[in-house]
Amino acid sequence: MLACGYGGRIFPINPKDKEIEGCLVYSSVTQVPEPVDVAVIAVPARGVLLAAEECGQAGVKYLVVISAGFKETGAEGMALEKELVAIARRYGMRVVGPNCVGIMDTHTPLNASFAAGFPHKGEIAFISQSGAMLVAILDWSLDGDLGFSKFVSLGNKSDLNESDFIAIAAEDPATKVILCYIEDVLDGSRFLDVATRASRKKPIVVLKSGTSQAGAQAASSHTGALAGSDLAYEVAFRQAGVIRARSMSELFDLAVAFAKQPIPRGGRLAIVTNSGGPGIVATDAAEQQGLTIARFSKSTLDALRAELPPESNIYNPVDVLGDGRADRYRFVLSKVLEDDNVDAVVVLVCPTATAEPGETAGVIVEVAGKVPEKPVFGVYMGGKIMKAGADILAEGNIPCYTFPEVAVSAMGGLAHYARTVNAEPAQSLPDYDDLDRERVRAVFKSVKEDNRLVLLGSEGTAVVEAYGIPAAPTKLATRAKEAVAIAEEIGYPIVLKVASPRIIHKIDVGGVRLGLDTPGEVMANFWAVMSNVQRSLPDVIPHGIDVQRMAPKGIEVIVGMTRDIHFGPLIAFGLGGIYVNLLEEVVFRLAQGLSTRAIEKMITETKAYTLLRGYRGQKPADIAALVNIIGRVARLATDFPEIMEMDINPVFAYPSGAQALDVKITIS
Amino acid sequence: MKSLYLVGTPGSGKTAVALGLALKLRQEGLNPGYFKPVGSTTGVLGHLDEDGVLMKAVLGMTEDLDTIVPLTVGSFYVSGYHDPKKSRDRILESYRQIADKFDPVIIDGTRFPWVMASYGLDAISIARDVGAGVLGTMQVKNDFDFDEILFFNRYVVCKGLPLVGNVFNNIPRPMLAKTQGVYANLLSSFGYRWLGAIPSRPEIHSPTVAEYYEVLGGEILAGEDRLDLLVEDVLIGAMTIESAFDTLRRALNKAVVIGGDRSDYALAALETSTSVLILTGGLYPHIHVITRAKEKGVPIILVHYDTVTTIDRISEVSRRIRPGEEKAIALALENIELYCDWQKIIEILKA
Repeated sequence: MLACGYGGRIFPINPKDKEIEGCLVYSSVTQVPEPVDVAVIAVPARGVLLAAEECGQAGVKYLVVISAGFKETGAEGMALEKELVAIARRYGMRVVGPNCVGIMDTHTPLNASFAAGFPHKGEIAFISQSGAMLVAILDWSLDGDLGFSKFVSLGNKSDLNESDFIAIAAEDPATKVILCYIEDVLDGSRFLDVATRASRKKPIVVLKSGTSQAGAQAASSHTGALAGSDLAYEVAFRQAGVIRARSMSELFDLAVAFAKQPIPRGGRLAIVTNSGGPGIVATDAAEQQGLTIARFSKSTLDALRAELPPESNIYNPVDVLGDGRADRYRFVLSKVLEDDNVDAVVVLVCPTATAEPGETAGVIVEVAGKVPEKPVFGVYMGGKIMKAGADILAEGNIPCYTFPEVAVSAMGGLAHYARTVNAEPAQSLPDYDDLDRERVRAVFKSVKEDNRLVLLGSEGTAVVEAYGIPAAPTKLATRAKEAVAIAEEIGYPIVLKVASPRIIHKIDVGGVRLGLDTPGEVMANFWAVMSNVQRSLPDVIPHGIDVQRMAPKGIEVIVGMTRDIHFGPLIAFGLGGIYVNLLEEVVFRLAQGLSTRAIEKMITETKAYTLLRGYRGQKPADIAALVNIIGRVARLATDFPEIMEMDINPVFAYPSGAQALDVKITIS
Repeated sequence: MKSLYLVGTPGSGKTAVALGLALKLRQEGLNPGYFKPVGSTTGVLGHLDEDGVLMKAVLGMTEDLDTIVPLTVGSFYVSGYHDPKKSRDRILESYRQIADKFDPVIIDGTRFPWVMASYGLDAISIARDVGAGVLGTMQVKNDFDFDEILFFNRYVVCKGLPLVGNVFNNIPRPMLAKTQGVYANLLSSFGYRWLGAIPSRPEIHSPTVAEYYEVLGGEILAGEDRLDLLVEDVLIGAMTIESAFDTLRRALNKAVVIGGDRSDYALAALETSTSVLILTGGLYPHIHVITRAKEKGVPIILVHYDTVTTIDRISEVSRRIRPGEEKAIALALENIELYCDWQKIIEILKA
């Protein structure tokens, strides 16, 4: 604390010592004669509660609890941690940790940690759920010139968690980019809110681990993180405008890019190179990152053609040729940076015989400095010969990489962020005013009374109908005669579907019969379905058979919902029918923050959309009707937290309207 | 009055019917006693016939358990047991002691009616020896089960025994309508007496965690005070965590059987309706799993054999009502009152 140059007053608390490093030691925080802002607690776990209690009495506002021995050690530790939080609540204190490395702030400066060393001053805030990761990065950064504004070790996240620190860093003028390493998100809904707002102010880059099966298992053992679906994290990050890094190196590559370069207006990239191969590699990478290879304006092309040797490529990627020296780079880089069709430039230099890596580096720094609103990245391919030039770029705040795809991926992150900032703020769903919540409640009540969690098809249909989703009329028959009576009532042709919460794939067990036109057919097929199911699944006793009015053929799509344990309802849309599991052509959005516009965008992202807008002479389908269904499913899932899973598959989309044919709902 | 011999198959809930009937008869001013000629013990922890223990307690019978349940057998009794005559004498002597004091005697059958047929001590033979009326209590899950009832009824009649009728018990909900409609009519059309259909109720038909523990043994790592939770379904954890939630969410009050090293799966299961985690392979789970289970009040049983063996043993688990389970005992009586023609049974026993 003293070594980092902390300017405030420090009060060591210890029952035995009298003086530490010139500071007067107090036996209790209650003895300190003036108000205390932050207390750093580093006593054995059993002493933490007493220390916290005294801090509360002394009017301390924040606790940084470094001590371990809490939730991570089992039930007793968990109880201790709950007690700690209770004490903090009682006195209105906020807690970092316990079981953390602490916090560091290079601008105040403040070092409330037990890390060895103190980071260089910089503009990157790093928030980490892993303490070891944090101290390792700290030590690694001291070897180079990477600076940080804040280092936060989250520890057990008993009170303050990632959302709190993202919100704080977003408001911190010393922070330009927020980095997070997390294994789980504690409060998904709040994270979405906070991150959505923060990402409009500055970039948030997150490395979320535990994405693989084995990784999730490891995370569950490390911090007790409950494996949510990685898909939900992916969707949540995208919806909140958070940039997701896939590796540690990408996390810091992006950090450097954001810290040193401006946010581009868009994703149109120019590539300047002195060799063809690396230029092509960079071009391929750009497409993978969703970037556009910029098309230069006429005046840029004219100027390049006039100045460059005839054998050089003046179109993007611009090849200054193997004999290109610093002056040729100066000319080309100036021209492409001036071009309005270019948002960013990647400059590639390979160690050819005539290359001037050092001079060229100076040129890049100088020219880039004249166009400060456009990001420029250096790729110095090679090692020994290129080092001096690479160092000049680093000093000149131009991020420099050894290989082209890393530079392009960093630019991809910047462009992604540019889209986030420029996106129009999310709207909300319409206020559907025809929802019959009572009817849904009544269905759920009767399902629970029947001691089930899975609704029958007829019950699912009743639920979606109550929420204004058009569905083919469906009723449950327990006997053949009853099935015939229902058929007479709702009209032919008829579909019979076995009704059982234990059967997930009805067709696979011969549980579906289509196109029945007469009472005789309904009667005969009722028994046929029953005996098919009996043969396939001897232990399953069906509740009966759903009798449904057969709908005219439409384009088959699926609208689904699964409730993620962290982020709530996750809405799915894609090609439906029996191929949904095969093709996996489904896109997802979180219900939280979903808008009509977002649903439209969601539909256009799928291959189903190609069919829906009219494929090979077919009439286009009623997209608005599908948007309506998806919006109402999102509302249903939001209004009824007991709905855990829901699948409407298929929904038939017609040139006018759409309707649900098969509804599966699981409640808790 | 005539004694009433309850005969049925495993899972048909004979003892619950015996219990409910005995309580009802007592309410009606009669003095019923309980007798189970051939008992059995359960699991690795049981030493006594639980049904006998229950009925002795509920009816306040002062006779020794050895008198109420004179014999107990395992499935390999022929070469090891006493000789047939001694066994028979013992049964009849015990029966007489109880019959002297109580009227009627409700006689509870063994798991299957044919048990100890080798010694001439199957249910039908004993019923004939003591002159009891036979009440068939059966669980009907499909048409074959119904066939079994008819076959059994015809056998009783062939043997010249008085057949009181049939009570269909522990009927799964989806089968209730069919049982009350189709099967009831069919049974009557063959000339047999339909005495009611009692629906399956988890509170008396689903085993508790304690019953799993008795069969499986092992160590209880959490939730030792929650062994009374009901288990209505069993799920074996063998899928990826992504697809696990879908499956875990569909099953109510379930036992989840998984390897102890799958902490991700265990944590996911604890977020759904789970009554017990059964961890196999003797692998202790991560501390987080135990902590979370304690928080949620879900018992964890750690067993030292593999998953396949565990599943195999789980098939032996069955529900038994225990003394002191007031709610279940009241429900057994309620079932008789609501769904069973007990007046008819009394009438026949008195005739």
